[in-house]
Amino acid sequence: MAVTTYHAEHGTLLERFFERNRGPLLVSPALAVLFIMNIFPLLWSFGLSFYRYRANRVKEPEFVWFKNYQKVLTDPVVWERFQTTAIVVTVDVLLQLVVGFLLALLFEKTFPGRRVLLMLVLTPMMLSFVAVGAFFRYYYEPTFGLLSQAVKAVTGEPFILLGSEVGALAGIIFADVWMWSPFVMLLVLAGLVSVPKHLYEAAEIDRASWWRRFWTITFPYIRGLLLLAILFRTIEAFKLFDIVFLITEGGPGTSTETIAVYVYRVAFQYFKTSQSAALGYILLFVVIVLTNLYLFFVRRRDVEEQ
Amino acid sequence: MRLMTTGKAALLAGAMALVGSAMWGGPAKSEEIIINMAAPDWPPTRIMQDMANASYKAPSGNDVKLVIDFIPWPDYYTRLAASLTSGEEKYQMAVSDSQWLGANIEGGYYMKINEFIDADPGLQAVFEDLHPNLVASYSTYPHRTENYYGFPQMPDVLVVYYRQDLFCHEGEMAAFKEKYGYDLPCSPEEHNEVHWGQVADFGEFFRRGTGDSLGGETLNDDFYGIAYQAGKGYDFSSMQINGFIWQHGGSIWDETMEPEGQALGVVNSDVAVQAFEHYLSLTEHMPPVVQTGTMDIFKVDELFREGKVAWIIQWIGFGESAIAPELSKVHDKVNFARMPGLLVDGEIVRWSNIGGQPFVLTTWNSDTVIKEALDFCKWWLSTPVQHEFASRGGQSGLQSVYTTPEYMEYRPWNHAFGPSLDWQRDVWHIPEFFELLVQQQEEFDKAITGQISAKEALDNIAVFQDELLRDVGRIE
Repeated sequence: MAVTTYHAEHGTLLERFFERNRGPLLVSPALAVLFIMNIFPLLWSFGLSFYRYRANRVKEPEFVWFKNYQKVLTDPVVWERFQTTAIVVTVDVLLQLVVGFLLALLFEKTFPGRRVLLMLVLTPMMLSFVAVGAFFRYYYEPTFGLLSQAVKAVTGEPFILLGSEVGALAGIIFADVWMWSPFVMLLVLAGLVSVPKHLYEAAEIDRASWWRRFWTITFPYIRGLLLLAILFRTIEAFKLFDIVFLITEGGPGTSTETIAVYVYRVAFQYFKTSQSAALGYILLFVVIVLTNLYLFFVRRRDVEEQ
Repeated sequence: MRLMTTGKAALLAGAMALVGSAMWGGPAKSEEIIINMAAPDWPPTRIMQDMANASYKAPSGNDVKLVIDFIPWPDYYTRLAASLTSGEEKYQMAVSDSQWLGANIEGGYYMKINEFIDADPGLQAVFEDLHPNLVASYSTYPHRTENYYGFPQMPDVLVVYYRQDLFCHEGEMAAFKEKYGYDLPCSPEEHNEVHWGQVADFGEFFRRGTGDSLGGETLNDDFYGIAYQAGKGYDFSSMQINGFIWQHGGSIWDETMEPEGQALGVVNSDVAVQAFEHYLSLTEHMPPVVQTGTMDIFKVDELFREGKVAWIIQWIGFGESAIAPELSKVHDKVNFARMPGLLVDGEIVRWSNIGGQPFVLTTWNSDTVIKEALDFCKWWLSTPVQHEFASRGGQSGLQSVYTTPEYMEYRPWNHAFGPSLDWQRDVWHIPEFFELLVQQQEEFDKAITGQISAKEALDNIAVFQDELLRDVGRIE
């Protein structure tokens, strides 16, 4: 303190400036990167969504107010893609919760080899999307794929999972559940291990049933984390692109084309740059609504508990 | 003191002489020039990089280096388009699919080369020597006009790869003859005369299950008769389907006929529907992956190299991997022939969609870089370099090269290349091509995966094309 005061009083003008603004100066590089890499592109693309503009044409952008938003929202294809996305999000998140929860219950107990098994279970979420996508593409491949070979050993016929709409959706959801259930498990496990053991002992003395113990002791401890898992996984599943693109390319036909894949197609294949920007902002709006819904539920519960 | 003064004067004179020689004469200092080129990652561009590294010396004396940015094929268009449209001006040259010419010329990214051809007899000789279909497809925009933009980097056509060990196996030949009443073609010459009717028979005949006998050996996995591209990505079904449509006498929307040329009634004509149904009918003899819409050219290549298919149609560009012992299980069992045609009144009607790529110069280069890039193109299209390229697995579009006897010896598929050039056509070159292609691929994919009929797919394509092309004034 004494040293700082001495420098502040006796240092050069520059030294005093650095001393007084040390905090802002330390975070300024990070803020600059954030602005250049995130905020500026966001503002730029938001502005672009009000113009008629295609990146592959020389034509000057033309200001069209909300026409892009109107066009996107009245396009039946967009609603079809939202429908596909809703199916994926609902089933995907639900399965991740169930599998993640069951895994957490398993790893809550101590047993021989728990650490090694836990590490193995956590591996999928550490892999890159490309690796997972490529792996599952081969896994489902009907000529060489493991899945087809296994089914063929029983039925005598190759199994073409990705040949139908339902099968392709199931394939994508399975891959995503495989990859992200460990994430849900980690959150739930954190809640489970935080439950004081004496509560369970008291419940045992009271001869409370398994369900009663779970509902009145365990669940309150994991509820918040479970909601957090739902929020994170819903947002991520809503933006699901990599795995879909790598496994099915949105096919067969367009049956597994999620809204994120469609945004990519509109932007980089149809080159409707400003329309894709508008669609991107609609997507962002949906995610913000979902986040606020989550926060609303969390706050309401907090108020109820108080 | 006097001596010192004399020494200083001598030093001064020496220094002046050195400066003078540097300013007004003496040996010229060579400049280092790097030509960054965007290119798809596959053998023809890898070979070009190796050859340039090994032997390219710029006639100017400058130290010119070709640095290729190898980009995987499925992402190539998106990555190149993103670079060009972003304004980063990263590439001085690019290998471009011929269909992209319109989009990137109208975007102001590809440089017109007419004035350089007019001023250079060497380039004029090159263009005169190139097969006219290659010039039309790779160089001209608007299509088939005299506005030139590109030079052939790797001309390519679809050819047949077949398992010679099976097609020439005595037992298989006898069984085939007994079942179908005619001989199973064995030699490339016999395969050159194959039509689609026979292909359906190959597909049916060579379909075997685990435990069946094939070529005298018992199979431990399923085996399939035929395969060709039928994938949703990029142009991985259109390139084959277009050939069927042209052979049947149908047409795609013709940009050289705009604004009178129509999409409605042409793209979905009865003949086009019949042609697409013909294409679809053969997919029933293919490996089951075709039903997922992911049987692109890479999957076809993989299936063949893994020894799962007897007969495929593939670009010549994949030939090297098919005959490489370290990459192919059938490297010593494969032979090549021309793509089949449609038998009409005893004659085989042949049309196919051209493959391969030109390379182009971008518009932001300095005069020095333009000169060096053009010199590089001239070097690439010189006779000895084209011979070397062909001897290492590439193709040459120069008639003086691909018609020579030694050219036929370089690779087993070369005999099929030259004659195939006569019946090549190209898909659209207009700036809207990618929108047309993406929608068409989606509709084709729905039909290939059994979600809609051939007619429904072509009707949807025709309506989309009519709307889009009217919107941009290409149909009136």
